[in-house]
Amino acid sequence: MTTINIGMAVVLAVLYSVGFYLLMQRSLMRILIGIVVLGHGANLLLQLAGGPPARAPVLGTAPPAEFADPLPQALALTAIVITFALTTYLLALGYRSWVLTGHDEVQDDLEDRRIALSERPDGAMEEDTEGADEDTEDPGSAAASNEPAEIATGGPDASSEVSR
Amino acid sequence: MTATPEQKIPFEQWDAPSGEWTLPGACPVRTNRTLLLEAATRFLFPVVLVFSVYLLIVGHYAPGGGFQGGLTAGLAFVLRYIAGGGSEGVEIGSRLRLRPPVLMGTGLLLAMITAFAPVLVGRPVLSSAKVSFLGVEVVSSLLLDVGVYLLIIGVVLDLLRSLGSGIERDAEAGQGERP
Amino acid sequence: MLALVVAHLVVAALLPLVSRRSRRAAFGVAAVLPAATLVWGLANLPAVLGPGPAPSETHVWASALHLEFGFRLDALGVVMIVLVGGLGALILAYSAWYFGKDSRDAPRNSALLLAFAGAMLGLVLADDLLTLYLFWELTSIASFLLVGQGGLHRANRRAAVQALLVTVMGGLAMLLGIVIVGESAGTYRISEIVAAAQQGAGPAGGLAATGIVLILIGALTKSAQFPFHPWLPGAMAAPTPVSAYLHAASMVKAGVVLVGRLSPAFADRSYWWVPIAVLGLVTMLVGGWRALHETDLKRLLAFGTVSQLGFLMVLFGSGDRIGEIAALTMLLAHGLFKAPLFMVVGIVDKVTGTREVGALSGLGRRLPGLAAAATLAAASMAGIPFLLGFLGKEAAFEAFVHDGDWVLALGLLLGSIFTVAYSARFLWGAFATKAGVEATEPRPVVPGLSVPTWIAAFTGLVLGCVPPLTDALARNYAAAYPAEDAVAADYHLALWHGLSLPLLFSAVALIVGATLHLQRARVTGLHTALRHPLSAQRGYEVTVGGIERFAVWVTGRIQAGSLPVYLGVLLLTVLVLPGLALVFGGTLPATVPGYGSLMQLPLGLVIVACAAALTRVRRRFTAVLLVGAIGYAIGGLFVVDGGPDLALAQFLVETLTMVAFVFVLRRLPAHFDAGPRVGRGIQLRKAALATVAGVFVAVAAVVLSGARQEPPAVSGEFVARAPEAGADNVIAAILVDFRALDTVGEITVLLIAAAGTASLVLATRHDKKGKSGRVESGGGTPEHEEEIAG
Repeated sequence: MTTINIGMAVVLAVLYSVGFYLLMQRSLMRILIGIVVLGHGANLLLQLAGGPPARAPVLGTAPPAEFADPLPQALALTAIVITFALTTYLLALGYRSWVLTGHDEVQDDLEDRRIALSERPDGAMEEDTEGADEDTEDPGSAAASNEPAEIATGGPDASSEVSR
Repeated sequence: MTATPEQKIPFEQWDAPSGEWTLPGACPVRTNRTLLLEAATRFLFPVVLVFSVYLLIVGHYAPGGGFQGGLTAGLAFVLRYIAGGGSEGVEIGSRLRLRPPVLMGTGLLLAMITAFAPVLVGRPVLSSAKVSFLGVEVVSSLLLDVGVYLLIIGVVLDLLRSLGSGIERDAEAGQGERP
Repeated sequence: MLALVVAHLVVAALLPLVSRRSRRAAFGVAAVLPAATLVWGLANLPAVLGPGPAPSETHVWASALHLEFGFRLDALGVVMIVLVGGLGALILAYSAWYFGKDSRDAPRNSALLLAFAGAMLGLVLADDLLTLYLFWELTSIASFLLVGQGGLHRANRRAAVQALLVTVMGGLAMLLGIVIVGESAGTYRISEIVAAAQQGAGPAGGLAATGIVLILIGALTKSAQFPFHPWLPGAMAAPTPVSAYLHAASMVKAGVVLVGRLSPAFADRSYWWVPIAVLGLVTMLVGGWRALHETDLKRLLAFGTVSQLGFLMVLFGSGDRIGEIAALTMLLAHGLFKAPLFMVVGIVDKVTGTREVGALSGLGRRLPGLAAAATLAAASMAGIPFLLGFLGKEAAFEAFVHDGDWVLALGLLLGSIFTVAYSARFLWGAFATKAGVEATEPRPVVPGLSVPTWIAAFTGLVLGCVPPLTDALARNYAAAYPAEDAVAADYHLALWHGLSLPLLFSAVALIVGATLHLQRARVTGLHTALRHPLSAQRGYEVTVGGIERFAVWVTGRIQAGSLPVYLGVLLLTVLVLPGLALVFGGTLPATVPGYGSLMQLPLGLVIVACAAALTRVRRRFTAVLLVGAIGYAIGGLFVVDGGPDLALAQFLVETLTMVAFVFVLRRLPAHFDAGPRVGRGIQLRKAALATVAGVFVAVAAVVLSGARQEPPAVSGEFVARAPEAGADNVIAAILVDFRALDTVGEITVLLIAAAGTASLVLATRHDKKGKSGRVESGGGTPEHEEEIAG
């Protein structure tokens, strides 16, 4: 039984810490770099999980008993290439964000803020925002449901005030 | 890289470039090429391509394979792109134009064919067989590797097309500048 | 049987093709299958009533999961087929004339009604609890769509949502109950569960009891039992044929049928029959009382349905031989009198434009045929002799009087009095000549509407005059219940049982009910005096409103809109849950080596230094270079660790990544945006959280890697079999052979990512060009195509 050695554990800790830290920043580019660093850490972890340093797993170059574990390596290889694809995609996203907004900051979602501020439900059940709602269906059932109709229409008015 | 002794650089600015050696974001000259790089590329480009094919084929017996081969070939194109100064785009020679989506599609198609061909002869999906070809024993899964190879080249070329010349054209048009 | 169900659904899907040509023909085509179902059901009658096992069939769906479609046709099933198929065909024919020749609602309603008929058929035939659940929810969805109609009217939307919320909520509870009961019984087969329970080997224990009660909740919501009943009167917003079919004849019976299916197994358990008896009786009384005061004929009938469903629930839950005979008879009777009554309301609404009690007058003289059909049906509802309703009610009284269950017997008597009163009120409201109300001038009634109504109402009379038909089915069904004595064992439905207490009960109900109707002014006064703020509808609204408010509150607290906060919460969760597990459950290995190979140390040092610098740099380009350095150092580590393939890929990918970064950095400002200055405290908190999380990952890696087996079994096999794949390089063998599917998936991801990247960047350009007028965005000009193709 051999575990990951202390030196490599420290490297992992640093890589993950820096990755997490950058991920929590507001600049998209920093976040992206954080993801790349996390990717490095994850790939290293995969490889290290295969055991201590050993010979390359190529038949004929060494007895199989001395091979490094090939499975984590194959998985890590896949992970490396995928990380690359993800990175280019995120780069394009960051670039697009910069072109459209002039900065690459991650903004707080105002819509979410608004929800936090609003006290009343804004009619999620009944999309009553269209004003010209025909309410001419049979009088019996309409009379029975008049009361909730008022409750529901109270919502959008209240919420539009908040958004103003 | 040398700062004059009078200019005291604050600690925070340790990585500030002191000369125009970085990439030509604001290069005044239209043709931002260097002769040295161009000449070297003319020599290196075919060599690297051949090496990438070697990596592809040797993958079954030594370090290498479709991924590494494709990435190497992609780097050859990157070199060519940088030496060519950008906008000329990605061309092999002057006649053959490689269209990245087609290349990627071909790669994926090849991989899919390799995957499903065994079904035709009643074997499970993605099983492989050894085929003797002109006296050389070839494994059918090599075709999958070739598909990967082509697809990766396509991905890199697409990268040059979008993040490379695409952004460059944005810059030339003066677009993307914020008011 | 599955074929029949599937045929319904397939034809329903194809029906729009017919309705494109003729909307009326669509209803006609739709009516064929339910009619065929009825014929099929009746043709199987000998097999059902015969001594052999009931016709059944099983279709294995996923055998490993014990999922299968199980169907079985028993007496209860045949009765329901009469309602679903027979009444379904009549109502579809009726709909052809109810919806105008070119009504825009017709195509949707014809297809949905037929699809519903298929789902309902599957439900009544299901012998497997999971099959039953599947069709159960399908009927709920069909009901939602049919009540909601086009979604143009608020009343429809509200009623549809309420019906869906209540029945699906009950359905979910039922699913949970089904799984519990199915697992504790070891089978999902209803017939097997019942057989086991009757031999004393049914699901037992507290867990099974919970499951059974949960199933019961599903049945109670679906059959609109108190306090879940308000959705049913609300659902009257649907067109009248829909109400007649779903909310009178078939769908609302689903809960009752489920109780009828499971009662042979559970009727002797108090947690089964007590809620059924109490809630059923309350429902019967509340529904009847409310029906006495409705002025809208349709809502009057709806509350009448609620009341009758409560009655049926009590009967099916009784677990008593005579009670169950009464239950099956009433089930059939209710469908046969309530559906025509609804159809009558639809006709009245159609020809006069109103269904308000106060606005109709003198209709009985002008439409005597319609009035006669309505009287026939209402008389069956009231329990007047020679009609099916009378047979059922007699048996019901007999059941409880015979057992001496006086509370239930008197409760049912009170409910029956209400029933008689609101039956009379219905006839009076629709057809009587009222003083001070102008006589209504109806348009003529087309035969397409009146004939189906007549057929349904007349069937009730025929079956009422010839009891043996129903008697055979009812006795066959009730045979599953133990008979207490010879009287019960020998009970038959009959018009004349001699002078007995049940007959007295029937007479009392008729006389008092009629009196109640004559004294309607006083009753209304009492109703007004008793008005109280607590109503089930109000309860529903408060509950839904409360859930909404709670959701907004939770969303407002959790969904702060800040990415760092979200990530922080995620990290904290990782630290708290797996972190605590690691602290308390993990064991650090006894010996942890300092390093694996000397070369690891300098490379590790480079990584640590670069990573530390990365947190401090403010220039983007430097940051990218540092990341590149980390990547190359990790490539070096791969070399040391014995992964040349990995190292090669890492070096190449790192180079390409840096190139990609540089491409983008050309256009971005040199420094990271200063942005809104974040407080130092917040940055420190982020740093602390990140550090703890990083250390957690490292410690977890050490602890978990301690569990490693040497040599690894899977990998050993890969190494041993690499020659079979024709590769010396084991990594290559894994990538292109053993785990080739991974590789194929991976390159697909690559392709998608590349396409995404290209569209993001190139789309930017197209937008710009569109503005300058050279290329329309997405305009398909040659230049545009060239851009896309590269």
